[in-house]
Amino acid sequence: MLNFRLIAKILGSIVYIEMGLLFGCTLLAFFYEENDLESFILSTFVALGLGLLLNFAGRNALKVMSRRDGYMVVCLTWIVSTLVGMLPYLFSSEIPGFTNAFFESMSGVTSTGSTVMDNIESCPHALLFWRSLTQWIGGLGIILFTLALLPGISMGGNLRLFAAQCTGPLQMKVQPRIAGTAKWIFMVYLFLTVACAFCLFFWGHMNVFDSINHAFTCIGTGGFSTHQDSIAFYHSHAIEYILIIFMFLAGVNYNLLYFFGLRGKFKTLFKDTEFKWYTLFFVTVSLICALSLYLENGFSIEESLRASAFQVISLSTSTGYCSNDYMLWAPKLLPLLFLAMFIGGCSGSSAGGFKTIRVVMLQKLARNEIKKIMHPNAVFPLRISGQVIATPVKITLGAFTALYFATFFAGWLAFMFCGVPFEEAAVGSISCLSNMGPGLGSMGPVYSWNGLGLGAKWVASLLMFVGRLELLSVYVIFTRAFWKSSGV
Amino acid sequence: MKIVIAGAGGVGSHLANLLSREKHDIVLIDPDESKLEAPGSRLDLLTYNASATSIQTLKDAGAGTADLVIAVTTDASRNLTICMLSHTLGAKKTVARIDNAEYLNSRYQSYFKGMGIDSLIYPERLVAQEIADSMKMSWVRQSWEFHDGALELIGVKVRQNALILNQKLKDLGTNDLPFHVVAIKRRGRTLIPRGNDMILAGDLVYFMTMQKNLTQIHDLCGKEGYEEIRNITIIGGGEVAVQAAEVIPDHMAVKIIEINEDRAKQLTALVNDRIMVIHGDGRDMSLLVEEDIKKTQAFVALTGNAETNILACLAAKRMGVRKTVAMVSNFDYVDMAESLDIGTIINKKTVAAGHIYQMMLDADVYNLKRLTVSSADVVEFIAGPKARATNKEINDLDLPEGATIGGLVRNGEGILASGSTRIEEGDSVVVFCVDMDVKKLERFFN
Repeated sequence: MLNFRLIAKILGSIVYIEMGLLFGCTLLAFFYEENDLESFILSTFVALGLGLLLNFAGRNALKVMSRRDGYMVVCLTWIVSTLVGMLPYLFSSEIPGFTNAFFESMSGVTSTGSTVMDNIESCPHALLFWRSLTQWIGGLGIILFTLALLPGISMGGNLRLFAAQCTGPLQMKVQPRIAGTAKWIFMVYLFLTVACAFCLFFWGHMNVFDSINHAFTCIGTGGFSTHQDSIAFYHSHAIEYILIIFMFLAGVNYNLLYFFGLRGKFKTLFKDTEFKWYTLFFVTVSLICALSLYLENGFSIEESLRASAFQVISLSTSTGYCSNDYMLWAPKLLPLLFLAMFIGGCSGSSAGGFKTIRVVMLQKLARNEIKKIMHPNAVFPLRISGQVIATPVKITLGAFTALYFATFFAGWLAFMFCGVPFEEAAVGSISCLSNMGPGLGSMGPVYSWNGLGLGAKWVASLLMFVGRLELLSVYVIFTRAFWKSSGV
Repeated sequence: MKIVIAGAGGVGSHLANLLSREKHDIVLIDPDESKLEAPGSRLDLLTYNASATSIQTLKDAGAGTADLVIAVTTDASRNLTICMLSHTLGAKKTVARIDNAEYLNSRYQSYFKGMGIDSLIYPERLVAQEIADSMKMSWVRQSWEFHDGALELIGVKVRQNALILNQKLKDLGTNDLPFHVVAIKRRGRTLIPRGNDMILAGDLVYFMTMQKNLTQIHDLCGKEGYEEIRNITIIGGGEVAVQAAEVIPDHMAVKIIEINEDRAKQLTALVNDRIMVIHGDGRDMSLLVEEDIKKTQAFVALTGNAETNILACLAAKRMGVRKTVAMVSNFDYVDMAESLDIGTIINKKTVAAGHIYQMMLDADVYNLKRLTVSSADVVEFIAGPKARATNKEINDLDLPEGATIGGLVRNGEGILASGSTRIEEGDSVVVFCVDMDVKKLERFFN
């Protein structure tokens, strides 16, 4: 059976970390002397209470973590983090209602970036900072974040945690030990964030607050902005170029960045099948969009290239920043943009979506099957970055693909039941599932999601949650076998 | 420490298991993916699915920067190749598993040094040595030495006739006895005894003592009935039996019973004259009786089949053989076999892995050594300057429950721990503990 005490103990540590962050925001609120100080103090204490409670429940926990415990911890981590994350929104009544606060918080920790806030400009600084911070932590993954900060936390079970929340079909470790891997990936992440903030501040002429916030949400591929108009607010070429570069980097597998940046293995990067496809896709789609913008919308060459590159990378890394409303572009470009939204970034990055590697694998599988018609007895291997992929991985890929589409349709249907129009529901479902952010029409890039009904917001929250954990980790909990002591 | 292990067979994966508990960076290489699956998903290490004789593989796995490369594939020549390549790449230390006792000869040691191979291990030989050792002190179940024999740890099964039964340990202690009881295994559970605990008949008791006191413990445990071993019967004429025949002292007569006729003939060429090779089935009772099993003092079952070995030993016990040794390759059976009262159980993987582990620890810069005895950990600490443990007498140290100090070695001389002993800086202290985070203990010694 599940080791509830251990689960409680680990959740307790995670709540403590969040409490620490909330306390940081409390200091910020104190510094800015705005009206959200009380709500942060209150949130910190509630988190402290919850942490103590969980730690108490987890006293004398047996230090054995089964596979089930691992999955349970991973799922509960995101739920608990969402609940703790919504506290400041609730207490400050900047976001009225439980549903809205939960939605905003879920959108934060899953690094989606959909917002229900219509009055971002008037929002207190500390609250905005908290909002960006949740995306930064959620982008890397709360578990990884915790492993990097508290290496001893789960006592031998962290392997299972790591496995359960890894994105992408193939696992890759950069260091023999999980704690080491987590630490290095965190370092890469931190470095990117600091570099991004630095660039935005010096070359983008953003103020300190905005540059840190945008660095958080850019590297976490979340997409929350401190302005209602997102990046379009700044009308700055420099900022857009900087963000294009950093969004692109944030969508690359962090293990690759580690090998590239810290070990100087340039070849690893350019030999990597997924990276090649990711880059190719980005360049091709950007060029097509740029051409259309240049010819049909009367943009200058530079403007069309910049706008298309920004929007394409923002969608394909599931960030969801907006510099130029793509709803005003030629409608024929929309399918391409939605494809970008669907595919997402690379596995092992903070980007969401179906992941480039899976598309590549499916494409190669399909090509092999077609070749097999001509050569029925030939053996065609599925090679990714020079490595032959084993059959079990292919089967998992098939199952994942089926579930992904099933979930997408279920989301689509559920949105429509909640009264969302046909097209908006479809795109909204992809957008949530791939932790994108903006969708179509009234869910489009220049609107907030506040206009949606209560039901639709819950559907969206659920899709984000499931999408962030790549379906299987969540669905396994809802199987009967998971709860049976000797389940089959 | 960064360790590369080539070969994820029994020895390799057992080693990986031992080492990964101590936060070493471990890379496990094997060309067979199915062998990597279990350690990869259970242990905190990096698996690498490739052949370790490939230079590219060794480079990718980081053998060049490794502190230790351990080659334990089934093929000895492959292991030697792996070690030589790793050494050339820059590995600090290399260990190869071999299957030829000739290589162990000290005359040839420089050859291997020259090739970049620092140590060799030969599991069959180690098992044979272990068997021979257990023959010398037949009343002892298990024994370990610390600091070249300055301290000795022995496990003894006590029966009704022992003189130390049913007395509280603190009362026993007043008699100034030359040992310290560090652990008791009773009905499958290991406990660290306190002053009020008693030794009961049927317990497996672990004593910390010095070599010179062994005879006294022998008497106290009521082991007079154990006559000295002169005749040994071995069933199963495999590699281990051949090695055992070689290392068992000359004054003991050895009979090897082998079921396969061809192998039996082969054996005669492999062992020397004083060994009698018998072709027959070791499970055949009439054959055993015919070969005077009642007059042998030790029975060693070394067939490839653990079940056969266990059952044969049980049968031999029933026929009156006091000392039986069974080789059990299946880990899950080891515990069960122990409870069956067969005497000594030997597992080749544990012996080999334990040996490498010990070797590694001896060279380790950490001040922490650790070995697992039944389910308890034996940890050796070097008391640091101004360590908490040096402040008070052992009684007042307030050690956590489940831990006890067995003894200490000061300037190469063993000292048994009693309540009034005071630890000094630089002492190497042997601590026994069950189910404990070693970090908790570490605080006392740093």
